[in-house]
Amino acid sequence: MKLVLERFAHNALALLAVTTILFFMFRLMPGTPLAAFINENLNADQQQAMLQQFGLDRPMWQQYFIYLGNLLTGEMGLSFFQRRPVTTILLEVLPNSVILTLCSLIIAYIFGVLAGAWLAWKRGSWLERIAVPAVLATRAAPEFWIGMVLLALLSFNLGWFPSGGASSPGQAYTSNWQRIASLDYLQHLALPVITLALYLQGLPLLLMRSNMLEVMHEEFVTMARMKGLSEWRIVIGHAARNALLPVVTAFALGVGLSMGGNVVIETVFSWPGIGRMLVQAVSVHDYPLAQGAFLMIAAVLAVMNFVADLLYMTLDPRVSHGRKG
Amino acid sequence: MVERAESRGVTPAPLPARSGWRLPPMLRRLVTMPLRDPFAFAGITIYVLFALIALFADQLAPLDPMEILFTKAGKLVANVAPGAEFPFGIINLGRDIYAQLIYGSRSALAVGLSAAVIVATVGTVVGLLSGYFGGWVDSLLMRIADMALSLPFLPFVIVLTGFLGADTRNIVLAVALLLWPNSARVIRSQVLTLRERAYVEAARVTGASQWRILFVHIAPNILPLSFVYAAIAIGWAIITEASVNFLGFGDPTSVSWGMMLQDAFSSQALSRGQYAWFVPPGICIILVVVAGFFISRGYEEVFMPRLRGR
Amino acid sequence: MMLSVEDLQIHYATRDGVARAVDGASFQVPEGKIVGLVGESGCGKTTAVRAIMGVLSENGWRAGGKVVFKGTPIDEKNTRPLLWREIAYVPQSAMSSLDPVYTVGAQIVEVLTKRGGVSRSAAKTRSAELFDLVGLSERRLRDYPHQFSGGMRQRAAIAMALALTPSLLLADEPVTALDVIVQRQILDTLRELQQRLKLSMVMVTHDISVVAYLCDEVVVMYAGQVIESGPVREVLSRPRHPYTMGLRNAFPDLLSNAMELVPIHGSPPDLREPPPGCRFAPRCPFVQPACTSGPIPAAIRDGHLSACLRDSEADALRTLALDPVTWQRSLNSAMS
Repeated sequence: MKLVLERFAHNALALLAVTTILFFMFRLMPGTPLAAFINENLNADQQQAMLQQFGLDRPMWQQYFIYLGNLLTGEMGLSFFQRRPVTTILLEVLPNSVILTLCSLIIAYIFGVLAGAWLAWKRGSWLERIAVPAVLATRAAPEFWIGMVLLALLSFNLGWFPSGGASSPGQAYTSNWQRIASLDYLQHLALPVITLALYLQGLPLLLMRSNMLEVMHEEFVTMARMKGLSEWRIVIGHAARNALLPVVTAFALGVGLSMGGNVVIETVFSWPGIGRMLVQAVSVHDYPLAQGAFLMIAAVLAVMNFVADLLYMTLDPRVSHGRKG
Repeated sequence: MVERAESRGVTPAPLPARSGWRLPPMLRRLVTMPLRDPFAFAGITIYVLFALIALFADQLAPLDPMEILFTKAGKLVANVAPGAEFPFGIINLGRDIYAQLIYGSRSALAVGLSAAVIVATVGTVVGLLSGYFGGWVDSLLMRIADMALSLPFLPFVIVLTGFLGADTRNIVLAVALLLWPNSARVIRSQVLTLRERAYVEAARVTGASQWRILFVHIAPNILPLSFVYAAIAIGWAIITEASVNFLGFGDPTSVSWGMMLQDAFSSQALSRGQYAWFVPPGICIILVVVAGFFISRGYEEVFMPRLRGR
Repeated sequence: MMLSVEDLQIHYATRDGVARAVDGASFQVPEGKIVGLVGESGCGKTTAVRAIMGVLSENGWRAGGKVVFKGTPIDEKNTRPLLWREIAYVPQSAMSSLDPVYTVGAQIVEVLTKRGGVSRSAAKTRSAELFDLVGLSERRLRDYPHQFSGGMRQRAAIAMALALTPSLLLADEPVTALDVIVQRQILDTLRELQQRLKLSMVMVTHDISVVAYLCDEVVVMYAGQVIESGPVREVLSRPRHPYTMGLRNAFPDLLSNAMELVPIHGSPPDLREPPPGCRFAPRCPFVQPACTSGPIPAAIRDGHLSACLRDSEADALRTLALDPVTWQRSLNSAMS
């Protein structure tokens, strides 16, 4: 329990540090200190509201705490160009990013774990010697380039998939859930997910493979052989079970990292997610929106880091169960 | 009945930790490793190849990559398919793809190398200080490392370049800022193990100063690790630079593979099927980055002692 | 005869050539007896024992010889049905031999259900019985390996080994990693179990005192070969091979008059290129030219085997071996 609190504090502090860095970064932007939240795009009422909400006429240190307080209540200001609350905008697009990330990671990890274990099985064969560098090559290709090639090939050329966005024009749905579950959405989701999964599978594959190789040489695996247990039971029940521990942790970390990395994928496929929102906001200097998007991504990262810590603690009996002597 | 197991090819034993800068054996390992590992050899070949291309770009590409070509009649030479005269064709704005590809290697190498140097230097110094001195120095440095790691990588680079300006130097800086913690951590744990070794104890007992121990006894055993991480950093820097350029935050006057991809994307080269435009830059990036992976993998086997030997 | 190892040869492929870890070792394990397999590190004792189980590392193989269990020759191919049901193994370090992510109880149940064909509930009862047998509380079945202390882990490993009531127990330095007091306890437990269950045992160790305490017969190995074997009392009080004589000197008795520790200088030969003739020759104080010329025949007298050319002079040599000066001489010759 003490360990859990410690990890929570650690991650919370990291998030706080990020928020602070962001606070000062945006204050140092060209323009007046007010420029972080006020812009001539907003009407007079909105400008006044922002002034008060964020205490923009108060000293810097006071602004900092007001800023933090606002964040805790989910108040991130108004988008200059959409003139709507940033929080609302972000919550609209968040599901798209989450779905993209989770679908890609799940596919990538299932494939990676199976392929990695299989490659470890094929230790020393010519197949393994070629496969490992080939997988490294998939990690060497920029995600967006893979996306571009697939887009050109499978969408423009062969017409199998739509070329962008999350939905075809002219569709109407009664609720958000219905929209997400629709065939149209899935069709649009397919190509981005394929691209991302292709890029992401390298890590779990190589990790699982190297873990398996290490574990297979452990003494308890030899013991399992001496007991005459079936090869299946040894490899899956004992070796894989041990080798999977770091992979599960990596998955959790991957979710956090992916949310940030998806920026490029979302741009290639015009996928309306947080990453794309960030890019658009930055290019038009929509500071509140850019800040909000960045913070949301950082928050997901911190949360997933904490989840990864928790997973590691609960799944490894050596950590979850102390010594009894 | 005689059962014969396959005789495994075994990698040479890792370099044992010693005092002092023993250059000849180190250099020998440096040189002989690629001869044993075909992939590392390929990696080095690729690096050398691209270095030569970057060096002799002027000779290799007769056309200026930024020059917009016009026909004798004054019309824009646009979207020419690859052919004898223009090996990769011409983009929509009349620029030669081949020339861009060749000159792009310069910026790639520049970005990769400068980022790698910064990452390796900062990571090594931090790792050494943190691991050796421990205490508040260690806590402080590792806290900073944690903070760097909790910043989402690409978004941070985007925000930085988006607001500070589209300059390649900013990109390199941002990349280096976020990549050093990884190498610092690994080097730190190496230093922690080395610190307890007998020969360091011996040096301490005979009265060697802390700095001397650090520099003469520990650093030589750490440097190979720095190289390994530097090789990896080159790849990440190039991909990040390409990503940032692709998103439109790069310097539009620069010639780089990332910029080529940005151009291709925004001018609908995908729908036109101009594969000769956007496929080659990607291939080049893959080659350079994977070369880095292979090289670092090869040297990792030699220089990182495996805790569980087989 | 429970187990008969005849001229066993186990080779390993290494970076610098083929190492002959076991090079023509022969010994026997009579039914119901404890045989100590003793020798220094690298003499091949662990390799021999693992070869009996048919479990060798990737780069090792059996290059020759026979292993006969209960009258039937066994090798890697046909050992599987016997594993754990007839021949079981007690490891040196139970910590690394038990899967860290499963409870100890789960691992015993696994072997009972998968290899013993027993139902889960019957397996749970049986594992409680097994723990009781080795002196562990039934409640500990729910614990993970890392939650046990060293001694208790070894007991758990012994319980695991006895799960399917094997006839032969191969114990590979089961008490080496423990402190002396716990060692004694475990050895006593082993002896008690062996008597109760009528087990045959091979006890691999580098510690002669363990052999003296527990074993009925002893087999002394050196550089992959058996150089002496026979009844424990006989071999330890009247050793006939110079190496055994030296081993005896290296283990002082706490209660005897203070005798200085007399080490055997030098180290074993490189197993990739073993010398012809007697492998102990470079370190032997009684070496003669004939010792290095060809293979040494084993001389057997009343079940006491010794692979030494000067076996007929054994009694005289033994007296000389008690004098530290003898071994000093061998150091000088080794260094010249």
